Amino acid sequence: MSEVNRNVPYLSIKDLVVEYMSDGQVVHAVNGVSLKLDRGTTLGLVGETGAGKTTIAKSILRILPDVGAKITGGKVELDGKDLLQLPEREMQQIRGNEISMIFQDPMTALNPVQRVGDQIAEVVALHLEPGSKTNPMERAKEMLEIVGIPGERYYDYPHQFSGGMKQRVVIAIALACNPNLLLADEPTTALDVTIQAQVLDLIGDLRKQFNTAMLLITHDMGVVAQVCDTVAIIYAGSIVEYGTKEQIFDHPSHPYTIGLFGAIPDMNEDEIWLHPIEGLPPDPTNLPKGCPFSPRCKYATEECRQGVVPVSETPDGHQCRCCHMEEVRKEREA
Amino acid sequence: MATPVIEVQHLKKYFPTPRGMLHAVDDVTFTIEKGKTLGVVGESGCGKSTLGRTIIHLHESTEGKIFLNGKDVTRLAGKNLKAAREKMQIVFQDPYSSLDPRKTIDSTVREPLVVSGRYSKKEIDEKTESLMELVGIDERLRMAYPHELDGGRRQRVGIARALALEPEFIVCDEPVSALDVSIQAQVLNLLKKLQMEKGLTYMFVTHDMSVVRHISDDICVMYLGQVVEKCSSKELFQKPMHPYTKALLSAIPSTDIHNPMKREILKGEITSPVNPKPGCRFAARCPHATEACLQPQRQEEVSPGHFVTCCRVHEVN
Repeated sequence: MSEVNRNVPYLSIKDLVVEYMSDGQVVHAVNGVSLKLDRGTTLGLVGETGAGKTTIAKSILRILPDVGAKITGGKVELDGKDLLQLPEREMQQIRGNEISMIFQDPMTALNPVQRVGDQIAEVVALHLEPGSKTNPMERAKEMLEIVGIPGERYYDYPHQFSGGMKQRVVIAIALACNPNLLLADEPTTALDVTIQAQVLDLIGDLRKQFNTAMLLITHDMGVVAQVCDTVAIIYAGSIVEYGTKEQIFDHPSHPYTIGLFGAIPDMNEDEIWLHPIEGLPPDPTNLPKGCPFSPRCKYATEECRQGVVPVSETPDGHQCRCCHMEEVRKEREA
Repeated sequence: MATPVIEVQHLKKYFPTPRGMLHAVDDVTFTIEKGKTLGVVGESGCGKSTLGRTIIHLHESTEGKIFLNGKDVTRLAGKNLKAAREKMQIVFQDPYSSLDPRKTIDSTVREPLVVSGRYSKKEIDEKTESLMELVGIDERLRMAYPHELDGGRRQRVGIARALALEPEFIVCDEPVSALDVSIQAQVLNLLKKLQMEKGLTYMFVTHDMSVVRHISDDICVMYLGQVVEKCSSKELFQKPMHPYTKALLSAIPSTDIHNPMKREILKGEITSPVNPKPGCRFAARCPHATEACLQPQRQEEVSPGHFVTCCRVHEVN
């Protein structure tokens, strides 16, 4: 393991740009995203379908599809080392070992014709250090126990498990090599709330035990509130607001963030009408000039449509990309 | 009191499986008054969708009775069933798979009007147009195919299709689960608006507690095919009585970051609904379970309009 450099964040994404080619058109999936993550902390990446959340996670692991997807700019630094410049062989050592990913859908992430235990042991065997005494099968059984599944179920197939148990197997695979960074892509979206609570507790316990950093992709503000330390709100491939959980939940400053909070039915108030964000997210092949949210934003003026809106940052590090931030904040606090 | 639009008595729906009888819906009873919404909540596999589909005859019920406006519609067939179905419609969960990919939006909405055989060509044209307007589909999209629309618009098409024959009762089967929150709010507002304008009666099936609280007048909580608690929406969230309801409510991640709720984490998972044992089906996961819970349970009215099926309800609360 490399030395911990106190000044450099563990993971640092700088101005990441990712494009897809689709029907001869360029899809602008990620447009200059910068994020930081320290060891042992959790960053929530929140946004709607198609905002670019999963693309960011896949860019970190460099598992974007070979055909059609391209990282056209930026850096992904892990402990100061740019992953985008590494030879594929070195990258293979990092995947599953240093960084691993929990995929969204436990129904499709597992191989249906392989025993679940073997699927865990495979990861362990692949990343065995030369001369290591670890027995992959023993380790796989241990991992099953850790996620609350009896070790003797090693020999079962995925169809013999319920959805919640399958997701726990997927978590066991992701954690089998004690990664330092976990990319969790909507790990509980496919699960029922009582099972979601179990799984979130489990991930939390394991992270505490191993001091794992986590990038949590979700669209559920409740999950963010329970789990994350910092939060980034992403819209049409750009981070529109970024800060600590307290900053985002107590002082949301971007009209989109405020709109997201407003659209959730309030559990403590009775109101006949909800407050949706009118309109739809923009077409990623044809993004509006300037702020991507401006076509749906009630504060939008000519200034917003001129060019790229710069990020403003408060002294305590709360970032927001909005020309009318002061006005929006004042109106919200009032 | 006026006749309820929908009344269900001791409704059962069993499916034969190689391992035995699957009790998807087991002895469910309720009524829904005109213009009201009954929310049905529960986790995947608890039978809430099957319940909705059985009521509108997409499944043949195994036992029990279904009344529409006081008329027994349990065993209807042929012409009578077709007539009853015009009054009972459904909006499906997944707007991606519930629309015919090879039909334009216009012909999907038009189809029920044509099938009914009650309207002239001119009337059908007029009705189709007003339906599109009602649910907010732009003129330019009427000849589009489903794949050209986003999820929210597709769901609007699903709603227009369900409304075509002016039904009185609509089963909304997780109609917003596949949508992003900002779009979800648009569709929920549309459903509410239609209900107020047309006096529609809804059964709203969902697993999302904040959505069900927002839209429902009364709520049934289901667990493994049975209703474990039933009362007004307000009462359910203020005074949940059944141990399962309590656990379900406490598992919702709260957006209040300063008051982390005390969560009751349940052990285990939903057991199989195939050949269930006679006692309380939640007993295996229930922190309060005793010997008595292995006996068949009885529904009790603990306060006016608040029904709980739990033998330990008084001790637990």
